[in-house]
Amino acid sequence: MECTTRSENGFTIVALSGEVDLHYSPKAREIILKYLGDKNHVLVDLADVSYIDSSGVASLVEGFQHARTHDLKFALMGVSEAAMQILQLSRLDKVFPIIASVADADQL
Amino acid sequence: MSQPATLDQLKPSDLPSPPQAALQILRACSQDDVSSTALSVLAEKDPVLTAELLRVVNTPFFGLSRKVQSLSHAVTILGQRTLRNLVLCLSVRDAIGKDAIPGLDTQIYWEDSLRRAVSAKLLAPYLKQDPDNCFTAGLLQDFGLLVLFYLRPEMALYWDELRGLDPEARLSAEQQYFAHSHTEVITLLANAWDLPEELGQALGHHHDCDNADLDQNQQSLCHILHCADWMNAVFNATDKSTVLNRTQQLLQTHCAMEEDAISACLNTLSEEMDVAARSLGLNIESQPEFEQIMREANVKLAEANLSYQELTWKLEQTLKERDALAAELEAELQLAREIQESLLPKELSDDFPITGLNVSARQLSGDFYDYFVLKDGRIYFNLADVSGKGVYAALLMAKTSSLFHCLGKHIHQPDKLLAHINNELCETAIRGMFVTMIAGIYDPKTGALKMANAGNPPALLFSPGKEVQAIEATASPLGIMPKVPFPLAPDVQLGENDCLYLFSDGATEGYLQEGAEMLGLEGLQQLIMSLHELAPKEQLQTIVEKFSAASATLHDDITIMLIEGKRPHA
Repeated sequence: MECTTRSENGFTIVALSGEVDLHYSPKAREIILKYLGDKNHVLVDLADVSYIDSSGVASLVEGFQHARTHDLKFALMGVSEAAMQILQLSRLDKVFPIIASVADADQL
Repeated sequence: MSQPATLDQLKPSDLPSPPQAALQILRACSQDDVSSTALSVLAEKDPVLTAELLRVVNTPFFGLSRKVQSLSHAVTILGQRTLRNLVLCLSVRDAIGKDAIPGLDTQIYWEDSLRRAVSAKLLAPYLKQDPDNCFTAGLLQDFGLLVLFYLRPEMALYWDELRGLDPEARLSAEQQYFAHSHTEVITLLANAWDLPEELGQALGHHHDCDNADLDQNQQSLCHILHCADWMNAVFNATDKSTVLNRTQQLLQTHCAMEEDAISACLNTLSEEMDVAARSLGLNIESQPEFEQIMREANVKLAEANLSYQELTWKLEQTLKERDALAAELEAELQLAREIQESLLPKELSDDFPITGLNVSARQLSGDFYDYFVLKDGRIYFNLADVSGKGVYAALLMAKTSSLFHCLGKHIHQPDKLLAHINNELCETAIRGMFVTMIAGIYDPKTGALKMANAGNPPALLFSPGKEVQAIEATASPLGIMPKVPFPLAPDVQLGENDCLYLFSDGATEGYLQEGAEMLGLEGLQQLIMSLHELAPKEQLQTIVEKFSAASATLHDDITIMLIEGKRPHA
């Protein structure tokens, strides 16, 4: 898994790529929570994620829950087909706010 | 004194020099036809030297039966070469004054040189060399080092370090510190002092005994000097036991000495040094006995062995502790696994319509399934998967399965039951962990089945002659958002020979071949259709075996449940 971050349009964008599995999800979790902990609105870019397992999804869920209780914005962005299948199968696509690109972040 | 950058720039006046009379005697003795009268005349030019020569000649070192009164008498008795050697020894002794090199204790230097000289003298008979000649060469062989310090007195701080090295290591260190070695310097001196070629060659090559320029005699003297150097190092070197081993090897190889002879030779050094020191008028401290050195070396060796044994012992202890902890952990995990298994439903009668199978990728599983019969004969069932793996997943699995088993006895509507479990889980949610679950009630008498699916992969309905129908999740997983609904899926009516399959994502995300793509939902559907003729338990086992055969370890827990429709005979 690779993880890069950038700031855009008032959001911190955490871009994950590759396989987000049990081995790498703790790192993804740490980064997402770090930015939310610093009161940043966070978009998680999943465009280059080839596989995400339930531990990876749990990291996203934790970010989502943290943002909700701390009145921050949190959304998934540009979700890859592989990641979207997992989210749709478990109906998590109905839980997370999902946008196509930063341009859509205004609607959050 | 100016400091020459290299030896090439050295002038004879930079080098320590014996008195003029001594030099003349040395030169005269190098000629074959010098007369004893002529030598006496030369010696008498320097009365101090003459007196000293007569004193030395009359010491027990030379073992003469009667007192020698004049130099001509000494030459007659001792011979030209011995006289030359004697003059040489006294010359080097006095060439560099006691306090000429601040910070370097010349007395210790002379003790070492004397030990080399005495060693060389003791080795002489083994290689058929003249003992007196060997003694002189031994006394001179490292004089070049003293000259190096004399020329560069600021280097005196390295003296102790160099002295603690074995001869070969010291030679390299000299090159490093001075850019020259004592053998180069002694070669220069041998030329300046007109020493005979035989002696000059041996002094210059005693670290290089196999040099092609050496004749056999010179080579023998070189070997003696080389061995004598190592014998001295036995007493000085920091690593005495290693140096002793090497010295013994050298003495066996070059002097063909047996172990007993080597020990005897090393044992006698201290006594021989005392005699020679008195004779040459050198002050030396009481010299350590070889036995004392051996004891020190043995103690060091024993200490090294002891610390090695301690290390080994500690390593063994640590490994034992690790194994014990691992065994303890293994026992704890085994117990946890047994508790987990006890949470899975017991197999009921053979004609019970529900069969389940759970195989964990690790010792503990995050998947589970359950079923129990309600009072009215309907069966409550569930299949669930906790996010993540390992102990924390297993703990949440235990909690969720207890909630299902306990609440399910009172709440007979799967959608409401899931809502209750969800609210409970959300209250204690940590780390984003969630649970996917299908919960339902099946009436085996009528074949009616109601279920709700919270984020689990779809249930697959198999009816003979029809396409497999996927019944998708109706809500997101449990434990993410409180107070959300978990709607029922459309009612299912299981007919004769119909089967409903529930499974965790370990089944769709498993691999049937190492390196191949995941089986996927369609792959699982095809697999189910191909196995339909088998009995339910065999079907589930065959599916799991296919995953297990593909790789040494499962990637994820796999849980599958099969619910059979009404049987024809029922």
